[in-house]
This record gives sequence, C-alpha cells and structure tokens, in this order.
Amino acid sequence: MTFFNTDITWFLDGYILLILGYAILIMSSYLILAYLSTKELRSYLKKNSFVDYSVLLTSEFAPKLSLIAPAYNEGLTIEENVKSLLSLNYNNYQAIVVNDGSKDNSMEILIKTYDLVLTEVEIHSKIETKKIKGIYKSRNAAYKKLIVVDKENGGKADALNVGLNIAEYPYVVCIDVDCILDKDSLLKLAKPFLESQGKRIIATGGVVRIANQCVIKNGRLVEVNIPDRMLPRIQVLEYLRAFLLGRMAWGRLDGLLLISGAFGAFDKEVAILAGGYSTKTVGEDMELIVRMRRYMLENKLPYAVSYIPDPLCWTEAPEDFNIFKKQRSRWMRGTIETLSLHKRMFLNPKYKLLGMLSVPYWTLFEFLAPAIEFIGLIITLFFIIFGLLNWHFFFLLLLFVYSFAVFFSVIALYSEERTYHKYPKQIDFFKLLMAAFIEPLYFHPLTVYAALVGYKEKIMGTKGWGEMTRKGFTKK
Amino acid sequence: MTDIWELYKNGSWEVPFLTFCIYIFVCASFVLYLLIVASRNTKIKRERLRIEYDKEINQLMTSVIFEDISFSDIKQNKNFLVLLDTSFFREVLTESIINLHKNYEGVYAQKLEQFYKDSNLIKGSFKKLKSLKWEVKCKGITELAEFNITSAFDNIITYSKARNKTLKITAINACIKLAGTNSIVYLVEHSDPIDEWTQLNIIDAFKRHDIGDTEGVELLLESKNTTVIALGLKLIKELKLTQKIPFVAQLEAKAPNLSIKYEAQSILQTLTV
Repeated sequence: MTFFNTDITWFLDGYILLILGYAILIMSSYLILAYLSTKELRSYLKKNSFVDYSVLLTSEFAPKLSLIAPAYNEGLTIEENVKSLLSLNYNNYQAIVVNDGSKDNSMEILIKTYDLVLTEVEIHSKIETKKIKGIYKSRNAAYKKLIVVDKENGGKADALNVGLNIAEYPYVVCIDVDCILDKDSLLKLAKPFLESQGKRIIATGGVVRIANQCVIKNGRLVEVNIPDRMLPRIQVLEYLRAFLLGRMAWGRLDGLLLISGAFGAFDKEVAILAGGYSTKTVGEDMELIVRMRRYMLENKLPYAVSYIPDPLCWTEAPEDFNIFKKQRSRWMRGTIETLSLHKRMFLNPKYKLLGMLSVPYWTLFEFLAPAIEFIGLIITLFFIIFGLLNWHFFFLLLLFVYSFAVFFSVIALYSEERTYHKYPKQIDFFKLLMAAFIEPLYFHPLTVYAALVGYKEKIMGTKGWGEMTRKGFTKK
Repeated sequence: MTDIWELYKNGSWEVPFLTFCIYIFVCASFVLYLLIVASRNTKIKRERLRIEYDKEINQLMTSVIFEDISFSDIKQNKNFLVLLDTSFFREVLTESIINLHKNYEGVYAQKLEQFYKDSNLIKGSFKKLKSLKWEVKCKGITELAEFNITSAFDNIITYSKARNKTLKITAINACIKLAGTNSIVYLVEHSDPIDEWTQLNIIDAFKRHDIGDTEGVELLLESKNTTVIALGLKLIKELKLTQKIPFVAQLEAKAPNLSIKYEAQSILQTLTV
C-alpha cells in the first residue's frame, strides 16, 4: 500500500510538473513572440512614415499583379465586391474572378453588370483543374482589368489554381471576394517584392481584421466599430492578438507558416513550380506557403516571406455558434492535414528554422494544444474527485491561466493603442477590455470544443468546407 | 533564494509559484491598462493642442504670404514667441509650412522659405541631421530639401551611403531635389546593391522635381555596380531620354550580364520606335 501511495505521489508530482511546464512554455513563447512583434512593428511604422507609396502608382516598373478572387454563390454581393476590386489604387493589375460553379445567379449578374462577352483565351494549364466553361471579358473599356472565369465546381483551391493558370502577370494576389480591401492594399502588398536583396520574395501577407458592424460605403470601409455581439467582438480581440503579437514575430524570424487565404500575394512562378494549391486539404492557404518554402529550401534557393502589419483587409467573422464551429473545425482539419503532409519537416535541420521551430511550434501549440488542454482538464478533475488534488489548487491553476489570458489580451490592446489606434472611441476600447475578461470563460472553451470537432472530423474522414453563410456588412 | 530552494525540496512550491505569477499578471495588466489610458489622454490632449495651434498658424501664415508681414513684425507678438519655444508648436508649424510650400510656387514659396530661415526653424532641421536616430535625420533632411536649402547638400549627401535604407532613399531624393543630376555622380561610385524600391524612388524624384537637365545620367551606365546600371537604364526609359541612345547602344555591346543586355535591347527598341 505504501509502495502504491509513493507511486501515486510520484505520478501526481510528475503530472503537475508536466502541466505547469507546458503552460509556462506556451506562455513564455507567447510573450517572446509578443516582444519580437512589438519591436518589429515599431521599426516598421517608423520606416513606413517615410514611405511614399505613390511612387508605385506612377511607375511602369511597379510589379504587375493578377488578383484572383474565387466566388461561390456570392450573388447577393458580387456586383459590389467586384466593383471594389476594380477601384483599388494600383495601375499594373488585372482582376480575375473565378465563378466556381455557383448555383445562384452570380454569373448572370456579372455578365449583365459588367457587359461581359465570351472570349477565346489560350490557356497553358500548368496545374490540373476542373473544366473551364468559359472566359469572359468586358466590352466596356472601364472594366478592361476584369476577367471572369466560369468553371465547374471544384472548391476554393481548384478555383485559385484556375486563376494561377490564367494569370498573365508574375505576381498573384489571392483574395476572398467578400473581403473589404483597403484602397492602398495592393501598393503595400507589392512593395516587398521590390525590396529583395539576394533573396527572392515568394509571398507577402497582410493583416486581416474583423469588419462586423463596421460601416461600408461603395465597397470601402468608412467607419470602424466593435460588434455588440460577444462572439464576433471577441474575435476582434483574437485577430488583434494573432496578427499584432504573433505573425509579425514569425515574419521577423522568417518562420511564417501561414498567410491568410483572405489576402496574400505570391510569386506565381514559385507557386506553380511548387504545384499550386492543394485540393486535398481544407487548409490550402497554409499548405501552399509551407510547400513553397519547402520547394525553395529543398532546391537551396534563397528566399523570404514578407509580412505587412497594416490592416489591409477586413472580413466578416461568424456571429452564429454553428458557423463559428464549422469554421474553426475546418481550420483545425487544415492544420492537421498540412502538418501531416509535411511531417518530414518536423525537427529536420535541413529545413532550418522552419523545421526546427515553426513546424514544432505549430504541432505543439496549435495542433495539440486543444487536446492537451482537454485531456489535462479531465485528468485534473479525476484527481480532484479521488481526493488526490484539492479544489483550492485547481482554482488557483485556473486563475493562473485566466490572469495570463487577460494579461495577454491587454498587451494586444496596448499594442493596438500605440500603433494603429483603429478603435479610438472610448466605448469601443471598453467593449474590447470587457471581451478580454469574458473570453477565457466563454470563447476559449468554444474554440477548444470546435478544435475537438475538427479532430473528430479528420478521423472520420470528413472532407470539404461545409456551408458557410454570411450576414453581410452594414452599408451606408 | 534558500527559501525558494526549500519550497522546491519540500515539494510545496506549486501554490506559492502560482500565487506569485497571478499577482504578476494582474499587476502587469493593471499597469498596461493605465498606460493605455495615459496614451489615450495624451493623444486627445495633443489633438486639441494641434487644432488650437493650427488655427493660430493659419492666421499667421496668411498674413506672411498675402499681407507681406515680416518675421520681425511677428516677433512683436510675445505670445507667439512663447509658443515658438515649445517643441510641439514648432513641429506643427514646420509641418504646416511644408504643406503650404508644397502647394505654392514663385513669390509665395519664397516668402515661406524666408520665414523658415528667419524663424530659426532651419536651425532645428540642421540639428536634426546630427541626431543619432535615423528617423530624426530623415525628418531634418526632408525639411531642408523641401525649402531648397542647397547649403545642406554636402551634409545630406553623406547619408546617401547610409546603411539604413529609408535614410539612404530620403537622402538621395533630397540631393536630387537640391542638385539635380550632380547628385547622380555620387551614385556611380556606389558599391552596395540598390534594390528596385530605391531605384523607383530615385526615378520618382527625377520626375517629381521636373529635372530637365539630365546630363550625367549616362554616367550611371558606366558604373561597376550592376544595380546602378539598371537604375540608369530605367531612368532613360522612364524619362524617355532619346539623346542617351548611343550610350545605351554602347552598353548593350559590352553589357556585364545578360539581364542588363536584354534590358538595354528592350530600351533601344522602345526609344527608337
């Protein structure tokens, strides 16, 4: 019996050490990333205050960009969305809208609004895709930048691959058609491609922010607001943390594994050489970046991925729990699929920082974290029920995690306040501060649950995106 | 230290550790909250001040530009002298006259330049050049270039070889504004690669400042630095300098690499059509 008790005590000590060790590891990694991000952000903003982007507007040497916007059943908003794509501050670009076999009247609306006619275009398909039904161009010179491709339904990745095949220019900008882009977004996205010194810039990404309850006029964001509903409001805070305190640091370390599918630019040649978007995963945005980087590393080609912290793209966050669950479980599936497709990179020194740090970090803190958290909670409760741990310790542990979560959110608010200051209204600041207190109790358990659903779906072999309905923006 | 070790040895370190961390997180959050509030208050205060200053500066500059009031007359106003002693007022004033200078030409612009010199704002700009911070140097350079202070050229040109790219671009642009193609001679000897972004900025400076005399641009084609040659070719193409065709043809015949050769060929084609 004594032996058993000693054994249990040893196991319990080990367990506590393990969970505390994991928590400390994750917390310190967040703080280190936040520190690096803040440093990089300050340096970027200082430099940016002297940058004159109009240089790109007037120069014929500005990088030529092909915008690819896949659309599926976007009939309600497609007219305005395309208009906003065509009115961006940039000269050397074309906009390719790929209708991915929509079941609604998207195509009819596009043909009528933009006076489109079928055109013969010779396509050198470098990536295999579903069949293209037709390529349309406008008869109206005002829309000469627009190309509309009508194709059979094949999913977002397939539509993006069609865009890659058709794009005439050396850089492609992949965007979600329903996103609201900043007028200068292309200018900012294009600049890093001109700054490469000895290294080829293979991709650049920008910050995505939440636009729920913001006011949109003529396809442009004119007033930033914080949503009244708690679910999207907390996502505002979540995006601030992720983009301001996380990705900026990975950008600085050159270990970025993800450029948001909502808005990112790629070197077309490298994207095609790497094989284009994978149709086998729902995390095609992350997977492409990993594959492009892998391609460059395996071929010993010097490269870099650039990241712009300016809020260039505004998107609608799910307001309904079911849609939120679908989105997050899909993100988890995408992460699992990408990490498993590239498992060779895990702790492989051949892949440098990517293999030794980025991939292990994503595996440990993005892929495994929800499972570890859930299992940890069950085991801890089990210990409490059997009297091996007391409630006092359990609550202290919860308070430890809770206070860190609030602290980290306040760092993000501070960073936002000192940099972009996009939420100047006092009421908005307090709304976000309140969200920081509520998030660990309400939102975080939901994300863990959605991630567990993602695990389950992966095990069950679920494929595809599921139906994602959107509410639409407030228009002026 | 001994106490901490004792706690660890006894196996009772977890509770004090967690309590300590919670205190730290709570205190740090509170401090950050106070910093956010302070930052917001400072922003509001500065904005209010800026509006006040703008009103006064607008009145003042209207009288300087349109009513021929000299700085010695303005100096009679004690309130203005007190304000001129505050750094924030000087900052707003400098920004305002830079904006006005961008919009005016001829006599009005000259009056603004004179005001910049008389009010000693010029001294502040020269002082900025000596700062250890590159961003302050950039500000100083921009101000001096805007008011065409040619005496600052020698000082500014030294920064055209700075390690900091933003400072380098600002300095080169300023030199182009102040001395036109004379500044380009310095680029010929430039040993570091000039990236495309910097090249576009240089070309833009030429276009923006409407530098008619393009003598010396061909010297760029003789540089040992291939990025400088590329800049020369881009300049010739963008400014459509057909008189430089013989130099481009010469370069095409003995180009240092294929990419320069193709670029030269393409320019020859474009300019000779």
